[in-house]
Amino acid sequence: MENIVCNGCSLLCDDVSAEVSGKTVSSLGFCRLGHAHLETAIAHKITSPDKKLERAADILTNSKNLLLYGWTHATDEAIKEGVELAKILKGHFGTSADLGQMQAMSHSIHSKGLDIDLEYVRNNGEFIIYWGSDPSESLHRHPSRFAVLPRGEKIPEGIESRTIGVVDVRQTETMKMANHRIILPTGSDAELLDIVISELEGKSTIKGKVLGIPGSELIGFVSGLQKSDCTVIFYGGGIINSGNQDANLSGIEKLVEVLRKLGKEAYALPMFVQTNSMGVIKAKSGENSLQRITSGEFDTALVVGDDALAHLPGPAAKALARTQIVYVGAPGGLTDSKATVSIHTTDPILVGSESMTRVDMNKIEFKKWKASKEDSVTSDVLLKLHKLVSKKRA
Amino acid sequence: MSYRKYLVLYAETHLDTHSKKEMFNYYGDKTVKLNPMELYNLLPKTNCRLCEPKTCMAFATKLALGDVSPDDCPPLLEAGFEKNLEKIREMVAPMLSAEATGIKLDESKCTGCNNCVVVCPVDVAAEPPTSEGKAAMSTDTVFRVENGISKIINLEKCRRFPPDRLNCRVCEQYCCTDAIEIW
Repeated sequence: MENIVCNGCSLLCDDVSAEVSGKTVSSLGFCRLGHAHLETAIAHKITSPDKKLERAADILTNSKNLLLYGWTHATDEAIKEGVELAKILKGHFGTSADLGQMQAMSHSIHSKGLDIDLEYVRNNGEFIIYWGSDPSESLHRHPSRFAVLPRGEKIPEGIESRTIGVVDVRQTETMKMANHRIILPTGSDAELLDIVISELEGKSTIKGKVLGIPGSELIGFVSGLQKSDCTVIFYGGGIINSGNQDANLSGIEKLVEVLRKLGKEAYALPMFVQTNSMGVIKAKSGENSLQRITSGEFDTALVVGDDALAHLPGPAAKALARTQIVYVGAPGGLTDSKATVSIHTTDPILVGSESMTRVDMNKIEFKKWKASKEDSVTSDVLLKLHKLVSKKRA
Repeated sequence: MSYRKYLVLYAETHLDTHSKKEMFNYYGDKTVKLNPMELYNLLPKTNCRLCEPKTCMAFATKLALGDVSPDDCPPLLEAGFEKNLEKIREMVAPMLSAEATGIKLDESKCTGCNNCVVVCPVDVAAEPPTSEGKAAMSTDTVFRVENGISKIINLEKCRRFPPDRLNCRVCEQYCCTDAIEIW
């Protein structure tokens, strides 16, 4: 067994081990999602991309309006190459993180230093709140590695030293380990945040049931915030995809600021699932490409590392399917099968080099291991395309 | 007979084909679930405060959890309560033997979240990095996540079994998907 880095989700677990013996893959520490990802990566048969590069370069050079799309599963190095390629081809660099996440990250909540890295959360986080996020369904190891169960410098007894709150519109599996379980009506996050903030500011507004939540439960939740020296709010899809993203994020931002005014430590962190959403967010401004795709503006698309046709909303996927697609990434999926040219590349977990950006913006380097293959690396393919395109344009 | 052989034999003789696939660890063949109210009704109900839990209801609850034994209630040992004492001893007897408690881990429900590994006090002592949320790598822990699914690799080390016989159920408590069941 060798220590490697898993890229099954945005936690990029670097404490896991694996070995490959023939067609059998064995792992230790990987969650179900990560192990399935590893098995899939091992099963892929990658052929040399060289023959297809020329044709792909022709399509890209001849495009009138190029879209470079995907990227949330590509490495930071591949993203960098993609940005360069977009510059020389004057194409639009769009990403699947544009669907809500990019907007969330451009909100002022992330420019005020309200976030923190996950190791700090493990060592100091006293009141952990999952607001509109359910790690037990998506980021399986989030509670055990960082936020709920591990012991830390100021958290000597792990879960016994922490208080856990879950706020969601439905009963979630994460609620099983929570001290405070709040189920609120859909779209009322901002309203609930206002009520909690008012209570913290001493303007008592809770007289009985609020938004269907028993008053005693809410007062207990507020009391937990008052008692905690370090509160961390992990917000997820429930906050950013409920149609009221700005107001919800502003509410969380205000809650964190109010707690800080009360002399407490408080932070807010996103819970994005896609492996390298943060890498692509770091590389790109907050411009949204979804409407431009839907309007049919692009004639050619270079899709990297994402099955964009399967993941985009219907009208955008249909418009994208009408373009000439050059696909670079793992074999399989709708985009791969519909592409004019498909160049298959090895998954970063097998390449064992380059890096991705974890959900808390920390850079995680992949590790070489016995099963490592470097025959078709995404960033190399993009670099070769870059050179070919430059040559053709010259 | 080794413990592993016992598990296989048990699975083959007691469980149907479907359960065999899902049930990875099983200890004992009795389900012990005691109702504190039933036990309370057999106690002297004097609230004499001679026992550690202090009240008869609290004593009955601890009795149902296996934290105290009937002999810890002095009035129950006095004349006149012989039948009640005998009945209570019969009721709690299965809990006092290792075979009467068990852990079941349903693979189909497990997501490999590592919660059981990190929260288990035995695992933390056997492999200290697990206390900081790291995955278990050694063969010394009770739980270890293998191929994306948690496995109980050393059930005999669980604190519920001798010599500790503690009423510990943290793994069940923090298993979000209810893959772990203790009785």
